[in-house]
Amino acid sequence: MSPEYTPTELMAIAMARSFRDGEVVVMGAVPTIPLAACRLAQTLHAPTLSYIVGGSGTVNPTPAALPTQSCDPKLEGGPCTLPLPDVVLLEGRGDVLDVFCAGGLQIDAHGNCNLVCVGERERPKLRGPGSVGLPFLPAVGRTIIYTLAHNPRTFVERVDFVSGAGDRAELVVTTLGTMDFDPESRRMRLASTHPGVHVDDVVAATGFQLLLPSSVPETPPPTREELAELRRLDPGGSLR
Amino acid sequence: MGTRLVSLEEAVASLVPAGATVGVGGMHMTAAPMALVRELVRTRVRVRRLVTSPSTSLQADLLIGAGLVDELVSPYVGFEDLGLAPCFRRAAEEGSLRIVECDEGGLSHALYAGSGGIPFIPLPPGIERTEIPAASRELYGETKDPFTGETHWAIRALRPDIAFIACREADEEGNVAFGRIAFTDRLLALAARSLVVQVERLVSQEEIAAHAPGTTLPAFLVSAVVVAPGGCRPTSFPGEYDRDEDELRAYLAAARTPEGFAEYLGATAG
Repeated sequence: MSPEYTPTELMAIAMARSFRDGEVVVMGAVPTIPLAACRLAQTLHAPTLSYIVGGSGTVNPTPAALPTQSCDPKLEGGPCTLPLPDVVLLEGRGDVLDVFCAGGLQIDAHGNCNLVCVGERERPKLRGPGSVGLPFLPAVGRTIIYTLAHNPRTFVERVDFVSGAGDRAELVVTTLGTMDFDPESRRMRLASTHPGVHVDDVVAATGFQLLLPSSVPETPPPTREELAELRRLDPGGSLR
Repeated sequence: MGTRLVSLEEAVASLVPAGATVGVGGMHMTAAPMALVRELVRTRVRVRRLVTSPSTSLQADLLIGAGLVDELVSPYVGFEDLGLAPCFRRAAEEGSLRIVECDEGGLSHALYAGSGGIPFIPLPPGIERTEIPAASRELYGETKDPFTGETHWAIRALRPDIAFIACREADEEGNVAFGRIAFTDRLLALAARSLVVQVERLVSQEEIAAHAPGTTLPAFLVSAVVVAPGGCRPTSFPGEYDRDEDELRAYLAAARTPEGFAEYLGATAG
């Protein structure tokens, strides 16, 4: 019998499981979920994982509670801070950073991300904040995409504007399940559904034809240890 | 020893040329030079082009909402966990603001180039896989690597006529200690033709010297210093105060409509 948890907590746990020891992870705005995932992975199976909270450039910060903003002053107690222009240099260098955690207003079948606009850029239906660091996606080892908005407006066949390319997209984590990419076609493929979610639910929430393997496993629910550690890192309940 | 201390009113009225490219610092909801920005809004200074940090929030949204900005160069305008930027969004959706798309890396390199008299900087791979360069041909152009013959996208140098940033301390002469993470604000300061720094407090020359090598903006790069304790509110200044979340949320709620924004401006203009 598995303990009770929220979809957001399972997202952080699924992301944490994908990090490997020794990797360097970079994340952007609203870092709550990837930051939780990095800290959880460090605690459980990847002790030498490093992470950079982009924006602030703080490296391996361990704030008492999970911040929801990337330049939260609470992040400044970490062992090191990279000046932001240096983070930019290292993102471009291509051989230092292993994982980029990204998101978008729109995410498409090939893992392209859009933070600029829905509709025409000159006269958009919805103007997003802008591309920020997403152009670096193909320069970093692999991309993990995450979003709380698994719906047909977010998951579209083709993004209205490419802020960052999906060339190295490897994993997508949402409140409904996880997706990976078919190695041949590079199209998004359902990899697992979260407990209680049916394949049909994910298909209906996705605005393009999701590749479906012959059998789709369930995302393993959090273990007691995973959830206990996560809750310890998140005493404020940011993920609940 | 001269002094670079000026009042808020003097800093804005006498230093901003007409039709200027203006740089404004602060990253996300941290260290935004709000005292200076509010003075720009109060005196209705027209900004031909606004250049921001890689991620900006209230400092840009207020200027845009007040109808003072013709053109924007910014990789991100938003309030992160609190939501989208209401005035920026409205202006973009109405088509009343010209937006030069750019990215974080491009902006940082463009300011570096501007700081050093470098006309443009070729960019690392990744940008060519996006729609940004095609949307912003005045900022991104193709160039040939003279050594390999390969083609790369390059970013053009950015040189604001004047930049506004917020730091912790300055002495009267105008030597400035950031006293916080500088983000790209040092590059913005170096790239700008003139620079106004808002500080939390004035300190003696001995104190500023005691903070070296953290005192990284020499007075000769600084046009004016304005002492404005708490002047980044409602954004945060690390080590001094956190962001005022209630006030930021009140702004976001008010600015949802042009009328609400106007009321907010009237109430906070003082």
